[in-house]
Amino acid sequence: MKMEEKVVEELKNILGNLGEVWIQREKRVYAKVPKNLVLPLLAFLKDKGFHQLTAITCVDWLKKGKFELIYNLFSLNYEGVHVFIKTELERDKETMPSAIEIFPMAFDYEREIHEMFGIVFEGHPRLDNFILEDWDGPPPMRKDFDTAKYVEEKYGVKDYAEELWRRREQPYREEKDE
Amino acid sequence: MGLFKISQGRSLWMVHFCTGCGAVEMPPTMTSRFDMERFGVAPMATPRQADVLLITGYLTVKTLKRVIMVYEQMPTPKYVIGFGSCTVNGGIYWDSYNVIKNLELYIPVDLYIFGCMPRPESIIDAFLKLRKMIEEGKANKWKDYIERYDWYKQNQAKLFDVNKWRVQK
Amino acid sequence: MKILLLLGYWILVIIMGLLYMGIARKVTARIQNRYGPPFYQAFLDVLKLFSKRETASHGVMHSLGPVIAFAGISTTLLFLPLGKGAPVLHFQGDLFVFLYLIVIGPLGMALGAGESNNPNATIGIARALSLMLGYEIILFMATLPVFVHFKTASIYEVILNQGAFPNWAGIKFPLSMLGGLIALQGLLGEKPFDQPIAPHEIASGPTVEYGGKYLGLLQLWHAVAIIVETGLFIDVFFGPQNILWFFLGTFIVFMLSVVINAVMPRFRIEQAIRFYWGVPLLLVVLGILQYYLWR
Repeated sequence: MKMEEKVVEELKNILGNLGEVWIQREKRVYAKVPKNLVLPLLAFLKDKGFHQLTAITCVDWLKKGKFELIYNLFSLNYEGVHVFIKTELERDKETMPSAIEIFPMAFDYEREIHEMFGIVFEGHPRLDNFILEDWDGPPPMRKDFDTAKYVEEKYGVKDYAEELWRRREQPYREEKDE
Repeated sequence: MGLFKISQGRSLWMVHFCTGCGAVEMPPTMTSRFDMERFGVAPMATPRQADVLLITGYLTVKTLKRVIMVYEQMPTPKYVIGFGSCTVNGGIYWDSYNVIKNLELYIPVDLYIFGCMPRPESIIDAFLKLRKMIEEGKANKWKDYIERYDWYKQNQAKLFDVNKWRVQK
Repeated sequence: MKILLLLGYWILVIIMGLLYMGIARKVTARIQNRYGPPFYQAFLDVLKLFSKRETASHGVMHSLGPVIAFAGISTTLLFLPLGKGAPVLHFQGDLFVFLYLIVIGPLGMALGAGESNNPNATIGIARALSLMLGYEIILFMATLPVFVHFKTASIYEVILNQGAFPNWAGIKFPLSMLGGLIALQGLLGEKPFDQPIAPHEIASGPTVEYGGKYLGLLQLWHAVAIIVETGLFIDVFFGPQNILWFFLGTFIVFMLSVVINAVMPRFRIEQAIRFYWGVPLLLVVLGILQYYLWR
């Protein structure tokens, strides 16, 4: 039996009816669980040997009104099989418990997701500006963030072609009489 | 005096501050193939010893604060060369929420080098043009920073808090 | 009249030092398979530096640092004979005064760099003063057998007492000459012993807050220091020379250290001091033993 099917067997044994497990392609196993089962599942998989949390990603489903968090786990003992754990959160209403006690490396990922999407992680000691210093707008990676409007308001630039015309017509510095 | 201007043009010391992705073109220009030192240009470790600031590439708001700190530490007369398309109008980041579009509003720029990235021959050509501008007396934008200081600070204040130079940890 | 001669002597040494620095950059470039700057580049650098205005000040002591360094090395010039010609001041025991006055350079820099609030400057000065633990001992012990052999403690008389070619001290005491050559590499601040400057590690060390006119003074200090230090080596070990042969000798010694500078990396500071207390110390101790065995 291949390694992915062994992992799927173990996950199905522990989850039963509470979540779906499927193989997406070679060496990629997905598991979709409700929000309160994520941390116990992470602890279980860490005991099994998945010692590295490679990334936490977030996808913004605007029409459904949900945020989807994906945890990516990797291990050297399982011949390169990645396990992805997916959950869904309500947009702007639900908060997520932090995974720092199980995987301390989740500190930076959760800080970045808070800055870019606005999800609050309970139990995280430091959720402030990470990459964008002096940021005063809405979280920029959401699908309803209008980049062009923000750029025009902050930097005064509307469009590339229009900007060139504007600069050609007005000199940027008044000519002084010497 | 003429002799001072000639020597300023022939011994430009640049700050070794590699800003964005354009910094990858600096090592080929400095090393043996396209030698930059034969024109007198040498990289210096600190801004207090340098004349030329090369802004190589895009500038986010976070980097702009540091660049202005470096620019204000250089002794006058000082020159700024904008390197690459991102300093002209934002380049490929023209609609990004964090990249500044018009560098002229924040620090005065003497010379632009076009390209994404410019070749080392273009960079050397720019240094020779800067040398000619210095000898004719046209590279005077540093005086503009002193005269219109309030205007520049007003533009910078739209992006970050100008009075708090404390850098975030 | 004498003042004009003194001024001429000073300006001659400054010009030769700057010329040597320019040629050193050219030689380094040719070793690295490229053309270098023109040989008069150091003059252009110094002229450019003296036409700049500084933007900030760190207090009086910070500004006085380069002045003290330059004054120290210029005073050392009074004791340096150029080959056969008599120096301005010479008396018994002026070797010790000479070796003391060379130290005023880094000491002035230490006073000035301590006033700037930059930790890079403090690290650079700590390295400079601890490197002195290495090369000063070797330098002094390398010159010791020569002075005891000629029974004098004055540099001028040591030169006069040596004769023509086969009677040079360098040929009679070759081990001491080798030790002195290694000590000279640290005195000049060339790789592998340029820990004080170290541009990539500590942002050029004690000169990190100096720009404009102060840096111009420091370049002049380095130019005079080159002539003074290589001049001492040539005077002690190579006998009385014409002034032209004297400058040729300093040029050859300086180019030797530049060639070693172009190909070697930099030691760590503890490796450098440990190296100085290893093989060079052995060489100069054997040189002193050789004097006692041949007496």
